[in-house]
Amino acid sequence: MGLFVDEHPDEAFIVRAALMSSFIALLVGGLMGTIQALHRTGFVQVIDNSTYYTVLTLHGVSLVILFAIFFLVGFFQWAITDSLGRGAVDPRLTKAWYGLMTLGSLMAGIAILGGFTDITSMSADVLFTFYAPLEAHPLFYAGLAVFIVGTWLAGVDWFRSWWLWRKANPGERTPLRTFMVLTTMLMWYLATTGVAIAVIFFLLPWSLGLVDSVNALLTRTLFWFFGHPVVYFWLMPVYMMWYVILPKLAGGRLFSDPLARIVFVLFLVLSVPTGIHHQYLDPGIAEGFKFLAMSNTMFLLLPSLLTAFTVVASIEHGARQRGGTGYFRWLTALPWNKPAFTGMALAGLMFAAAGFSGMVNAGMNLNYLVHNTMWVVGHFHLTVGTAVALTFMAVTYWFLPEITGNSVFSERLGLVQVVTWFVGMVLMANAMHRVGLGGEPRRTADPFYEGVTFDTALGSIGELHLQIALGGLLLTVSLLLFMAHVFLTWFDVASRPAPKPETLPPALSGPEHAPAVLGNLRLWTGIAIALIVLTYTLPIAAIVSGNGLFGNAGVLAWGVETLVSLTAGVVG
Amino acid sequence: MQIHRYEKLWFGVSLLLIVGFIATITYGAVGAGIQMVGDEGGTVDPGEIGDYEIRDGTTFSDIQEPQATHVEGDSYEVAVSSQQFIFNPGTSEPIQVPENSEVTIYTSSPDVIHGIKLPGTNVNTMVIPGEMTKITVEFDEPAEYGIVCNEFCGAGHETMAGNLEVVPEDEWEGDA
Amino acid sequence: MSSGTESDVSPDVWDGEIEREIGHDEYDPVGTLGLIAIYFVIIALLWVFMYFVEFLGRGPTVV
Repeated sequence: MGLFVDEHPDEAFIVRAALMSSFIALLVGGLMGTIQALHRTGFVQVIDNSTYYTVLTLHGVSLVILFAIFFLVGFFQWAITDSLGRGAVDPRLTKAWYGLMTLGSLMAGIAILGGFTDITSMSADVLFTFYAPLEAHPLFYAGLAVFIVGTWLAGVDWFRSWWLWRKANPGERTPLRTFMVLTTMLMWYLATTGVAIAVIFFLLPWSLGLVDSVNALLTRTLFWFFGHPVVYFWLMPVYMMWYVILPKLAGGRLFSDPLARIVFVLFLVLSVPTGIHHQYLDPGIAEGFKFLAMSNTMFLLLPSLLTAFTVVASIEHGARQRGGTGYFRWLTALPWNKPAFTGMALAGLMFAAAGFSGMVNAGMNLNYLVHNTMWVVGHFHLTVGTAVALTFMAVTYWFLPEITGNSVFSERLGLVQVVTWFVGMVLMANAMHRVGLGGEPRRTADPFYEGVTFDTALGSIGELHLQIALGGLLLTVSLLLFMAHVFLTWFDVASRPAPKPETLPPALSGPEHAPAVLGNLRLWTGIAIALIVLTYTLPIAAIVSGNGLFGNAGVLAWGVETLVSLTAGVVG
Repeated sequence: MQIHRYEKLWFGVSLLLIVGFIATITYGAVGAGIQMVGDEGGTVDPGEIGDYEIRDGTTFSDIQEPQATHVEGDSYEVAVSSQQFIFNPGTSEPIQVPENSEVTIYTSSPDVIHGIKLPGTNVNTMVIPGEMTKITVEFDEPAEYGIVCNEFCGAGHETMAGNLEVVPEDEWEGDA
Repeated sequence: MSSGTESDVSPDVWDGEIEREIGHDEYDPVGTLGLIAIYFVIIALLWVFMYFVEFLGRGPTVV
């Protein structure tokens, strides 16, 4: 077998296009982060405070929507094509979904950029969460909708490939990578339902003036219906990389294929009915619903905890195959000189720490301590900012040769890049957690308030702000190194000898050991839907009956309220 | 299906950890008596927050004063409008509550979503137009707290702050 | 590129970087068990600290 770019040139083209979009978004979003880190710590302020929020919107949307999702769709396209051994069913569909995603990005991006200039009144200074009644230009909402439809079509494209493969290979177990892509996309379809309804039926008509108002709590709840599982849309590709590629890099094999499938099924089933844990402190939602969301969230820890074991066991296997011995000394036998390995290993290590801050966030009443403080910002810089972003950057060192046919420019430069990211993030995110515990709020251009002090346990606010700024600068250096390296590799500036095609070894415990029910996607999707209905029907009904679908208690509100009391009367 | 016995062990330990977390949180709710912000406040018209009925004969604007209003015993109440970009009361003059009191705070917003946090405490809640946030807080010792808005609410969000003072008994000038 | 389910694996997969192959039945991830045990202890202790000291130990709380 040859390189992916030689075996499947058309698909490799789409993968490269997706990665190019992803890296442009990473550069834009990352540089916005540099501005923020220096601005809100007070060190360098080149913009005024109101522009900060435009910067913050661009930072969030570019990184967690554009960078992360373009990268993962490119990676998924490779995963499906390579594991099924076949190209796209209809390349026009493939180009169409990529085109829609690009169009949507440009639409939303232009709306956001409008906030930087007075030439147009168009703007979208609403941050990544776009809570109504904060209002953005309709182009923003329309762009998001178009982008999401693009991702939906990508899923259709991949399901079609799988259906055709199944017809040609009846009775055969679905390859692991394909199984992971399909379960992720099924979860994505469920997750995006919430935000699609919010945007298409409420926010877009409202921003176009077709309706007068929206129910703020309803649209916020629909956002978080999506807003929690979106993190798993980013994480499941990361887990694929840790399960499928990292063991090979470590010199070993995946410890257990069936366990990997179980983990992905658990994510499909449990990811969505947890969103209310972002609304623990919201009025209008009863405590009982919050408790249910909390338990669902705590059980959602399980697939990640299982992943920790399986991934580390796979790495240990590699270390021992490389000659490592002892209880822990085998850690030194790993290929720490390889950026792809080291980047992913460091990202995984960081995720273990991030998991803890996530456990705290999930802790219902414990949330009073940390909600909307910089603790939360520290948490997601560890998770999406490192576990996801650093893994994506690290895997690029392995992946780029396969899709371009060029060897990496410099392994050493790559190693410096991934380690710098890790060190920068340790410094920055640690300080963020600590100022957050002191009560410093997130999402503010200037956390210095007259008459208000933030008491931090270890280190003064000034010291911690310095760490945030320094960490941010290190991350910027790492970002620029990554961009340079991608450029130098992509355009084969150094004309290195061609890379060898990569092979992925089979798992130690293969899919033939997994119970067949694991592959019953319809069953798991059905259970996922049932859990969503159980978790969300009553709270949403209460929100609608409270203020109506559009925020003024009208006929629709009366209708739902009557329905709710009738149901309560029958059930109670 | 073969699962290695170490992984089975970890699976069991993980479940124990999860149950332990849920148990701790339940203790916090039931043992330490911590209530989550809920829907007890009901709904309110964002254009007419002042008319919201607290109880028969008392509206929101009746208790929208810097000094908390006495209800009975150790119970007090105060209504705060959280709006772009002030807390009313709270910003132009501090909210005052007496020491050793249980204060019910009512707040809503006439414009966009805000947040209220008293740094250094566990008083933290969202303020959503259309909904009335109703929380009860125990204030023990005299102290001075800041109030910050911790949810982005527009250009000017970074200026939205205020103060809350827990006043010693002998200095309390409100009704008791 | 391939990822089959054959039980004998060609060592070429790892570009000659491994010293020996270890099969499914010969492998016990003892190091992993040790590391994950340490992680569990850290998490459990930090949780207790966060909940009972940082949170419950803090002043005014919503009741």
